[in-house]
Amino acid sequence: MTVLEADAVSATEEIADLRRRLAEAQAAHTDEVRRNQAFSRIAAAIGAHQSLGETVQAVIDGGVELIGAQFGAFFYNVVDKAGESYMLYGLAGAPPEAFADFPMPRKTAIFAPTFDGVGVVRSDDILADPRYGLSGPYKGMPEGHLPVRSYLAAPVKTVDGLVLGGLFFGHREPGRFDARAETVIVGLAAQAAVAIEWSRAGEAGDRELTERRRTEERLKFALDSGRLGSWELDVETRAYDASDICKSNYGRTSDETFGFDDLVATIHASDRERMLAAMDEAIRTGGDYDIEYRVVIPSGETRWVHARGRAAVRDETPVIGGGVRRMAGVSLDITERKRAEERQRLLLNELNHRVKNTLVTVQSMAAQTLRAADDLPAFREAFEARLIALSQTHNLLTEQNWESASLREIVDAELEAFAGRERLDFDYARDLRLNPKATVAIGMAVHELATNAAKYGALSTPEGRVTVAWAIEPPEAPARLVLRWTERGGPAVTTPSRRGFGARLLEKGLAGELSGVVRLAYDQSGLGCAMTLPLAALEP
Amino acid sequence: MKTLAALKVLVVEDEALVSMLVEDMLGDLGCEVVGPAAEIEEALRLAGSAEIDAALLDVNLGGRPIFPVADALKARGVPFAFASGYGEAGLTEPHKGSPVLQKPFREADLRRVLEGLAAQVV
Repeated sequence: MTVLEADAVSATEEIADLRRRLAEAQAAHTDEVRRNQAFSRIAAAIGAHQSLGETVQAVIDGGVELIGAQFGAFFYNVVDKAGESYMLYGLAGAPPEAFADFPMPRKTAIFAPTFDGVGVVRSDDILADPRYGLSGPYKGMPEGHLPVRSYLAAPVKTVDGLVLGGLFFGHREPGRFDARAETVIVGLAAQAAVAIEWSRAGEAGDRELTERRRTEERLKFALDSGRLGSWELDVETRAYDASDICKSNYGRTSDETFGFDDLVATIHASDRERMLAAMDEAIRTGGDYDIEYRVVIPSGETRWVHARGRAAVRDETPVIGGGVRRMAGVSLDITERKRAEERQRLLLNELNHRVKNTLVTVQSMAAQTLRAADDLPAFREAFEARLIALSQTHNLLTEQNWESASLREIVDAELEAFAGRERLDFDYARDLRLNPKATVAIGMAVHELATNAAKYGALSTPEGRVTVAWAIEPPEAPARLVLRWTERGGPAVTTPSRRGFGARLLEKGLAGELSGVVRLAYDQSGLGCAMTLPLAALEP
Repeated sequence: MKTLAALKVLVVEDEALVSMLVEDMLGDLGCEVVGPAAEIEEALRLAGSAEIDAALLDVNLGGRPIFPVADALKARGVPFAFASGYGEAGLTEPHKGSPVLQKPFREADLRRVLEGLAAQVV
């Protein structure tokens, strides 16, 4: 071989060598680009704040790609709401079913360094590793396990040393993972730890946010169903924020503005000073604000509102001048309750009035009866009879809610105590309803007439009869009730020498009370009583 | 200042039995009864023109308040007292402080109130 030939060979070899080195450099470059792309995908996945599962998957996929593994897995611990710890996993290069039938990895000699966070386990052929196959029940990989020979595992732990889980990579051929792959996986494990911590913090934050929303919804539901409005006041700026129901308590719609000045202006002038004083007191002392006041809503209607509040207790609430910075509270429309209280008060007053009036009536009956009575037994008999007569009219009124009673029933009730009911004739076109005052007055009048008839008149003999007749005369206004009591068949009647209680009650009392005229006629054939009473004084 | 004897007292009371009692009590005290008036129109007429020294007014006259009658008496300078089951609680603001006979009352209570009224009569 000539020198020239030798040179040519040398040149050819050199070119071949250069080509080979160029190809190697290109491959290394491609490899570097691919690895960088994988890293940036992982970084993007972590930065995207996805769910824990998605983040974990991005880490495994990236790891498989970076070191050219066939399988990748990540086993990690999670803690459920009950505080129970359990293990989840993500896979790459194999479907999830590949591990579905196996128990979770335990701290065997192979796995312990990973799960305990001791360090990386890298093996060119795991089947030849002295730590392999020591633990039961499988003594190695269980039947059906992915055919792993090259093995690389790294713990994923936080900077504090807390082990979150482990990254595992495998290949069916031995000698696939070199020192460079180990370095890559250690870096990836560190990134995974950060990603998992972020993801967990995010999920915890989401949970807290959801819980807060739920709490707020529950509170709003409770407020709404109780028709409770809520409000908040910035003491310094007087910025006032009212809920929709709170606004409606003050006669405002939800889209109307309603500031503190509007609130003060809408409070009844007579209650305003008291409200402002109560609020100042609560602000100054940090005590409770609790007040009922009237409000005049824009329609002009007066309503009642019960407002309660308290200094907002928050750590960041600065206390100024011994007072508080914010107040928050609720408002309730209590108009109906106030009206009911007012009705009850009026009813109680009315009841008291009736009771007192009845007592005076009884006092009067006792005094009148005593004046006319010959002795105490006579007083007792007459007084009790009058008391019962009064009670009868009350019974009739009570049945009708103290609104009215029928004239026929009044007469029947008063005559019930007397034996001669069957000797009573009625003559009238229609029954009449009387107001309470007329019921008591006419009831007492009929009682006096009946008592007199039973003692001295038609009902004191077996043959005597009484006719009670009434009519409305004249038919046009002002109409009057003309009621006639006529006795027949009793002993001969003489005009009494002195006017008794009955006569006085009828001719003066009843006539005066009902603005009418009552005449007693002492006809020899029997006593007659004619009452002419304006209907206006009788009707309910 | 007048004594109770021959004191002319307007009685406004719408319940017969009650006005009979008051009439009897006033009669026992030697007073002369004017009325009794059972309705507001009649009471106003008597309060405005009748010859009276004092008046005893039932606060509630058939569901209508007596206060117009009280005002008329005040305008005439006629002293008066209320008779009421409500006590002073049943009075409106301008009449709070007027003498009140709480129903039921004794003749001695009526005498005391009337003596107070008579002392105001010039």
